[in-house]
Amino acid sequence: MNSVGEACTELKREYDQCFNRWFAEKFLKGDRSGDPCTDSFRKYQRCVQKAIRDKDIPIDGVDFMGPSKDKPES
Amino acid sequence: MKIWSTEHVFSYPWETVIKAAMRKYPNPMNPNVVGVDVLDRSLDEEGRLHSHRLLSTEWGLPSIVRAILGTSHTQTYVKEHSIVDPEEKKMELCSTNITLTNLISVDERLLYRPHPDNPEVTVLTQEAIITVKGVSLSSYLEGMMARRMSANARKGWDAIEWIIQNSERENVPLCDLY
Repeated sequence: MNSVGEACTELKREYDQCFNRWFAEKFLKGDRSGDPCTDSFRKYQRCVQKAIRDKDIPIDGVDFMGPSKDKPES
Repeated sequence: MKIWSTEHVFSYPWETVIKAAMRKYPNPMNPNVVGVDVLDRSLDEEGRLHSHRLLSTEWGLPSIVRAILGTSHTQTYVKEHSIVDPEEKKMELCSTNITLTNLISVDERLLYRPHPDNPEVTVLTQEAIITVKGVSLSSYLEGMMARRMSANARKGWDAIEWIIQNSERENVPLCDLY
């Protein structure tokens, strides 16, 4: 599956592989030991965020369901 | 405004279905989904996994149609928020279109849970609110969208089954990275 930013597809694949493995073998089995994918995610994200800006895709806030860890308490 | 909902049972346990749901694209039933990106992912204090994703879909709209719709994008975009609760065995996804919003709004919610009477199978409840804006044939168009959604829902179920069947071999890693 491609990324929205064509240049990001390889970074996406690396991250997806890491995530899918963590999801199936750790997260779903109740293993809360660290996230091995933060590095690959960061690289992938830098690319994607740039592609979104370049393509002018109207992503505003991402938090539209339930409370967000980033929202201030009100 | 049109409200549409449906329910489907997968003959697989919940963990199998949601692993497939997380890797749903690409698949042969949904060729219009051409891009999927994760924008954010985090665990909340209750240990639930939140993911925010951007999906891009290509319908092959001719440029004249795009000019009429007033969009410069060749693709339409959807944002999706999902929450996986491994304790409660619930996976919930909410999505909404973020382009063509001046014309139509499709808000969809999917919920995957083990069947209350049989924990070896999984129920998917799916519902959508469709609103066509500023057009006098809105209720007709909304009805048409709802019928389209039923057809697409079937494709979505087939897609999940396809992913499950094509992945059953792959869960043994070749080498342990961590």
